[in-house]
Amino acid sequence: MNEDLKKTLLNPIFKGNPITVLVLGICSSLAVTVQLKGAFVMALSVIIVTGLSSFVVSLLRNSIPNRVRIIVQLVVVALMVILVDQVLKAYAYAIDKQLSVYIGLIITNCIVMGRIEAFALGNKPIPSLLDGLANGAGYGMILIIVAFFRELLGSGTLFGLRVLPASYVPNNLVILPPMALIILGCIVWVQRSIQKDLQEK
Amino acid sequence: MNTNSNVYTIVYTTLIVVVAAAILSIAAMALKPKQQANIKAETISQMLTAAGFSSKEDLAKLGNDKVLAMYSQNIKTAFLIDAEGNKTGELETEVSGIELQDNLKLENKNIQNGNPSLPVYVFEKDGQDINVIPCYGAGLWGPIWGYLAFNADCTEILGAYFDHDSETPGLGAKIKDEPSFREQFKGKKLNFDNPDNPFDIVKGGAPADNLSAIDAITGATMTCNGLDAAIDTWAKAYMPFLQKKAAAATGDDCCEDGCCEDGCCEGHDHDHDHGHDHAHHHHDHEHNHQEG
Repeated sequence: MNEDLKKTLLNPIFKGNPITVLVLGICSSLAVTVQLKGAFVMALSVIIVTGLSSFVVSLLRNSIPNRVRIIVQLVVVALMVILVDQVLKAYAYAIDKQLSVYIGLIITNCIVMGRIEAFALGNKPIPSLLDGLANGAGYGMILIIVAFFRELLGSGTLFGLRVLPASYVPNNLVILPPMALIILGCIVWVQRSIQKDLQEK
Repeated sequence: MNTNSNVYTIVYTTLIVVVAAAILSIAAMALKPKQQANIKAETISQMLTAAGFSSKEDLAKLGNDKVLAMYSQNIKTAFLIDAEGNKTGELETEVSGIELQDNLKLENKNIQNGNPSLPVYVFEKDGQDINVIPCYGAGLWGPIWGYLAFNADCTEILGAYFDHDSETPGLGAKIKDEPSFREQFKGKKLNFDNPDNPFDIVKGGAPADNLSAIDAITGATMTCNGLDAAIDTWAKAYMPFLQKKAAAATGDDCCEDGCCEDGCCEGHDHDHDHGHDHAHHHHDHEHNHQEG
């Protein structure tokens, strides 16, 4: 059992990472990675939403009528997302504005629904919670890696603090979404050269 | 239990939705005061940015209380005007109870109805008055709004700040995110001779000699058209007030040294200057400057 939990927790971080292996949640990972701060808050929001949604759906899993399964899941996910959005609006207003529509769009983030359908519906609440949290963390980790390079090279700063000398000319290409896709591609490349079994023949 | 029966399904979904709604209502009510304080500080930062006191980024670092204090220190007076540009009420500017007329959506409707109550925020910087007025309209996906700062006699735009609800990041959202777009407003003026279309945002580039036009943002035509319409609608609603200000500055010596800071030059008859009949009996005449 302990081995199982460990696997549930670690698999989504690296070997089954939702972004680089399952290729889910690409849209928002391109959009919110211009600055580390935004990426960090987004990562945290997604971790909370995936974790709590999976937990609640898992609690309800035996009572949900199969025909309206997806709708009930959506209600739960939407509830969590709106709660996160409301809390951010109250306590991190500037970041909420910066993330703009993407907080609301966590609802459509395939990772959330994907993990509920694939895991939470068939597992107990605690493993489901861990699975959700771990998948959110796997997503967040990639977000933060991409944001690290984009903020460093695009603005010369990290978390808004200048780290590169003022003589560094910021690379505007890195700010634009295409560069996020290229960085993401590089991460996938690195991961697949380490993990040979992911390579397609 | 048969979880697939119709009755069960209906009862179950109803219950889920009611519970979710209850949780959300409680959360919304609990967080509302904090959220509104944030929105107030945000609105004030937008005005301060438009008026050139600070930048939005710096203000965000200050925190709500300091932003409110900065507003109180720099504002001279804030008041409401009606469709004829006459003052109808004061807005509190003391830091403890700052009042803003920030329900722009409602006022936008009132402009169409011909019965608006429009705010004018008069800041003072280096001894010069800065008049800040809002605008509001529809972008591509949702509302867009912003603040325009004018010099003392309202003949020149000193700065602008725009915000939006849900414009496309990287395209329409540039009205807020792209400082160079906002920079274009500096030194421009409203075309008082054409109250229906006093300002233009031109796709493909505004002619350099047109002082009432700026370049649109590539890829954001709908948002720019919406912003253009928003500025036109609101500038038209403010036109009587702005024209009085401008006329006061050129026409009457008394007004130059600031005795008309309430903006309506009461007691001075400037109506002959621009052919409007709106001295002190503004109750029943037709507004020919209302949006159709």
